[in-house]
Amino acid sequence: MKHNIALESWNVAWSDMCYLRRNLPTVVLSSLVTPLLYLVAFGYGMGEGQSVAGVPYIAYLIPGIIALSTLSSSFSSVGNKILVQRKFYSSFDELRLCPVSTASLVLGKSLLGMARGAICSIILIVLGSIVAPDFHPGPALAAALLLSCLTFSLLGVLAGLLADSMSKMNLFTSTVIIPMTFLCGTVFDISRMPDWFQYAVNALPLTHSSSIIRATALDWAFPWGSAAALGGFALVFFVLSYYILRCRNV
Amino acid sequence: MLSTGVCGSGKGRAERRLPDQRTDSGYPEYAIEAEGLSMSFGDVKAVDGIDLKVARGELFGLLGPNGAGKTTTIRMLTTLLHPDSGRIKVEGMDASSQVYGIRGRIGVVQQHISLDKDISVRENLMHHAKLHKVPRPERAPRMDGIISLLGLEPYLGKLVSDLSGGWKKRTAIACSLIHAPSVLFLDEPTTGLDTQSRHLLWDIIQDLNREGTTIILTTHYMEEAEALCDRVALISRGRIVADDTPRNLCAGLGNIAVIHASAAGRDYRFFDTRTEAKAFADTLGAEEDSVSIRKTRLEDVFLEMTGRMAGTGPGGPAE
Repeated sequence: MKHNIALESWNVAWSDMCYLRRNLPTVVLSSLVTPLLYLVAFGYGMGEGQSVAGVPYIAYLIPGIIALSTLSSSFSSVGNKILVQRKFYSSFDELRLCPVSTASLVLGKSLLGMARGAICSIILIVLGSIVAPDFHPGPALAAALLLSCLTFSLLGVLAGLLADSMSKMNLFTSTVIIPMTFLCGTVFDISRMPDWFQYAVNALPLTHSSSIIRATALDWAFPWGSAAALGGFALVFFVLSYYILRCRNV
Repeated sequence: MLSTGVCGSGKGRAERRLPDQRTDSGYPEYAIEAEGLSMSFGDVKAVDGIDLKVARGELFGLLGPNGAGKTTTIRMLTTLLHPDSGRIKVEGMDASSQVYGIRGRIGVVQQHISLDKDISVRENLMHHAKLHKVPRPERAPRMDGIISLLGLEPYLGKLVSDLSGGWKKRTAIACSLIHAPSVLFLDEPTTGLDTQSRHLLWDIIQDLNREGTTIILTTHYMEEAEALCDRVALISRGRIVADDTPRNLCAGLGNIAVIHASAAGRDYRFFDTRTEAKAFADTLGAEEDSVSIRKTRLEDVFLEMTGRMAGTGPGGPAE
């Protein structure tokens, strides 16, 4: 059977898009609360008047908060939804019973996270353009955002397939997602930290997401290494999700 | 109207074709062929070497007590679970190498409502049509036909989460039919439904079967299996312990049952003729109202084969 991956992925995501359209105000509001709190607390509370890496701290901070919002919006919307659909509603089985390829299923389920992450990011970009004159959104930023949203959505798919209870998902969020939020250069410059710390956080995808979003937003030299690393993370998350769906009873 | 409660009284059973009578050319003789299916979850052997054949166009029942292995068997037959060992063919396609081909030909109504509860009935139908690649021009007429068949018109715009259990089940059946499957799996489709809804679903199941859809049904309700199924298999502890028509299964036990109620409990005896049953009842010397004589039901066969007390039937312990 021949598969049109793009069409099948869209068909898989279609019900999630119906849900998103129906609940857009709620989804946007809930996705924006945390990034806006970070902006107020770090940007205006602690970093007012300071500069980092040659730019005002607020301009440095906003790309980091956008990277952080791609993580929180994309990961949590996909991961929790897949877990609930698998373990509580059994509706994930409905998707598995359809003649769509495993690759389409993985990509299709990641589209909700990408859409949610993109919507939240666009609002923050508009806000950033208003409050930070050094902030220059363009096509390169859009590409960086898409890669970031895709990576964290695929991480959400993987976590949703691996977790077998809400408490396991919460454990993953507490031990992996929340530490990433604070340590991966979203709110401070990691080049000022010890070498061992930099090595450690470079093994986490949010560091690279933060790096490429910041570089494209502030017109800095594009960090190709970070882009490649983030793409590598996306590929690993995709392959692992594919393997689990294909070879294990989920 | 459907008749229930007596072995072999199912509607149209006499005209149904059983496995050894099928001769369709150009199509595989069997809709389902399974050999040596086994599946364990940790130390628990849920399915233990099941062999199964279901002819095309047959309405086949899979009966068993809770935890007997019915749902695990259905999940393997529908490609949701990879068996530890064994071979499955659905409509002539091998489940290990032609998964997508099989998924395109089967419809499944799962035991628990597995619809997307965050979207409406109409959106669920459309989603299934898209996922099953129903051509765009055919979607609307096919949806209209199924909506009308199941009486879903008043609920199309409602979220599935807002529907009652019966309407959720109807919606699930509607979604399973949107791509006109040739084999339909119904895992306890009427559990939890009121009498009216259950009978309506029986009619729909029989109509679908009459139109040529092969149906594999699991149920806890023996009268449902008697009324609907051409053939039933009884599963106990992961093994098939009987496989025949309801009529033959009853006849194998004895067509007439004598039930003697006493302080020690109920004693069941089965006889081929009513005369033999009456003669036995007379020997009991018991009060008249403590002895009853009636036709053997599939429920009697079920209880004899799977054990009147849970876990006492044949099939061995579920190691």
